[in-house]
Amino acid sequence: MKEKVLEIINNIRAAKDMAPVAELHIEDNLRNDLGLTSFDLAELTVNIEDEFDIDIFESGFVNTIGEIYTKLEK
Amino acid sequence: MMAAFLYNGERKYSYEVLINTINQHQEYFPLYKAPDLFSYFVNLIKAVVTNSPLVLLDSDLNLSEVPGIEESMVNKPTKLTNYHFSDMTAVLSALRQSTSEITIFTSGTTGQPKKVVHSVDTLTRSVRIGEKYEGKVWAYAYNPTHMAGLQVFFQAFENQNTLVNVFNMQRDEVYEKIAGHRITHISATPTFYRLLLPFEQSYLSVQRVTLGGEKSNNHLYENIHKIFPEAKINNVYASTEAGSLFAAKGDCFQIPAAIRDKFAVVEDELLIHKSLLGKSDSFSFDGDYYHSGDLIEWVDKEEGFFKFKSRKNELINVGGYKVNPGEVEDAINAIEGIRQSLVYGKANSILGNVLIAEVQKEEGTELTDLDIRKTLKGQLQDFKIPRKIKFVEAFSLTRTGKLRRT
Repeated sequence: MKEKVLEIINNIRAAKDMAPVAELHIEDNLRNDLGLTSFDLAELTVNIEDEFDIDIFESGFVNTIGEIYTKLEK
Repeated sequence: MMAAFLYNGERKYSYEVLINTINQHQEYFPLYKAPDLFSYFVNLIKAVVTNSPLVLLDSDLNLSEVPGIEESMVNKPTKLTNYHFSDMTAVLSALRQSTSEITIFTSGTTGQPKKVVHSVDTLTRSVRIGEKYEGKVWAYAYNPTHMAGLQVFFQAFENQNTLVNVFNMQRDEVYEKIAGHRITHISATPTFYRLLLPFEQSYLSVQRVTLGGEKSNNHLYENIHKIFPEAKINNVYASTEAGSLFAAKGDCFQIPAAIRDKFAVVEDELLIHKSLLGKSDSFSFDGDYYHSGDLIEWVDKEEGFFKFKSRKNELINVGGYKVNPGEVEDAINAIEGIRQSLVYGKANSILGNVLIAEVQKEEGTELTDLDIRKTLKGQLQDFKIPRKIKFVEAFSLTRTGKLRRT
């Protein structure tokens, strides 16, 4: 699951000509650390939903990688 | 001590600095892609107070999408005849008599951005001036080259209020600005407010919250109310074609009595009289009326109360930007190796909708989704580029996300 999230995030970064990140940390902030805009976050939700069938932003805002993992582990 | 005009990042600009800057260089840019918000406002005010024409270009507008724009003229200064403004009273007096024509662009229904020319009168039609509007501090949350951004600017400027730039800022920063500047007024798209969720803390300085641009739901209103418990919440209906027309509480709008005879409703579609509109070659009129494309439902026809039902055409609202899926499909279909495409909006909790493209490739093509997106980057504005490209054998969905009936 974590590998898949990493892949999805690196794909988003690739589309905006940003270098891939080698690994994700639970405290990584999606906006500040990973450089995702609101459009990128929307892309992230679509891809995570396609993969895991969960809308991670449905019940409020998600800020960190750790919060994504928590939602996906439920 | 004069009020601050603008806080932009770490910079503060007083009204005094603004007037000095306007007086300093007697030239302006008729076609302007501004490097920053202060320069943008200075240029706008210079044009308006000297009755000069101005074309406002979005910083990410791709000039190849816009017909009739001479690229070499962008950001070329033009001399203005001698002027001097001693104070804001003089500036505002010139603004109110201005005969400037301001050109803005919208993403149109026919593909290319639509050019609309407005008088200062149309742009400032909804501005309210008076004692009760003094001393306000606005969060500036709209794209400054779009209609809504101009509306907020003129409302604040004509009352010598303070603007605090929060456009495209992150959640934490926005809250920091609201608290730090004791912001009283916020006018923004529902997407902006959605990004402020979830509720964590109340901000009591905010007196008014205005939503525009897209429809929004009760869940959002309830949360806004928790975050800004002292604020009145209202919606505005404004369009690039006509500027601000009516405002109301909740999801019900009222056409003001003074302009009630300027509207008609035919087959549920709201028609707007041409006297309320800017000028554009791309408007097509039905007699004296313009088809807004908005389908409405009367709540109280006598009093002019109505609700919006939907859009007549298929424009997809992505984070407050309107995208014509046909235009995006045309761009994708033009890429070598692609047979056909279907672009639609998928409901999304962040942007309202996110653009998805289903693409049929020609046999033997190696194209990847990244290749397609990179090709589109050179042709379309960012918000028009699908965030997910699915390669399919056949199309499964219509643009509204329903199963396609064949």
